[in-house]
Amino acid sequence: MNTEVADPTNLSEKKDFLVRSSSLKDVRSFSREVFEKFKIDENLREELVLAIAEAAQNIVKHAYKDYPDTQDRMAVRISCTGKELEIAFFDKGKPVEESKVKHRPIDDVKPGGLGTFFIQEIMDSIKFKEGDKPWINNLVLTKKL
Amino acid sequence: MTYKVTDEGDTSTVFLDGEIDMDKTEGAKEVIFPLIDAGKNVNLNLSNVQYMDSSGISVLIESHQKALEKGTKLIVKDVSKSVLKVIMMAKLEQILNLE
Repeated sequence: MNTEVADPTNLSEKKDFLVRSSSLKDVRSFSREVFEKFKIDENLREELVLAIAEAAQNIVKHAYKDYPDTQDRMAVRISCTGKELEIAFFDKGKPVEESKVKHRPIDDVKPGGLGTFFIQEIMDSIKFKEGDKPWINNLVLTKKL
Repeated sequence: MTYKVTDEGDTSTVFLDGEIDMDKTEGAKEVIFPLIDAGKNVNLNLSNVQYMDSSGISVLIESHQKALEKGTKLIVKDVSKSVLKVIMMAKLEQILNLE
């Protein structure tokens, strides 16, 4: 784990992970460590961990849907300005078509389609960007603290 | 994730453990679904599950619906506070049988 900025009011940590479902537990561990270090409100931490894990899961399930044995890595960067938390994801998978990113109607109870709903419920904003090379996708989530 | 199954009459209790995510759901289904298919009522004890994501929630929905189809019952028991929060976020507290 690499701390990019030491200023306690402007912290940022980034780590990369193999694009696999087995990496999700490591993504959660990284997130919990960072939130502990950034002293994020304990009541917020687990729902933020859920949002991060759901976004990482979407990379595995959708951006790399046809490449289950990829050796590519995805990166997660958590930054905190004191007033806002920004969580950025970087991957080299299939480009995200934002118009297709939607959750199922919440009253239509059936398996699947909840990950994006959870992210929307937990975070204040979700932005899909083109990644700077070598990245293809760059998802940015923010949450006011 | 580890699990234990106990049987009493026509009811099986499945004790799941750990964190249930996309990587663990197939294992959970492999334990729960055959019991429902065999006509058992299933108590799913989640007291030792501290984390569940949307994949885990999907297993609860699928198991619940499968039990309805088979004419049995799935009861989700002893849900931890953190998992209950996720169930409520998914607005499933009135759908699933929670005890």
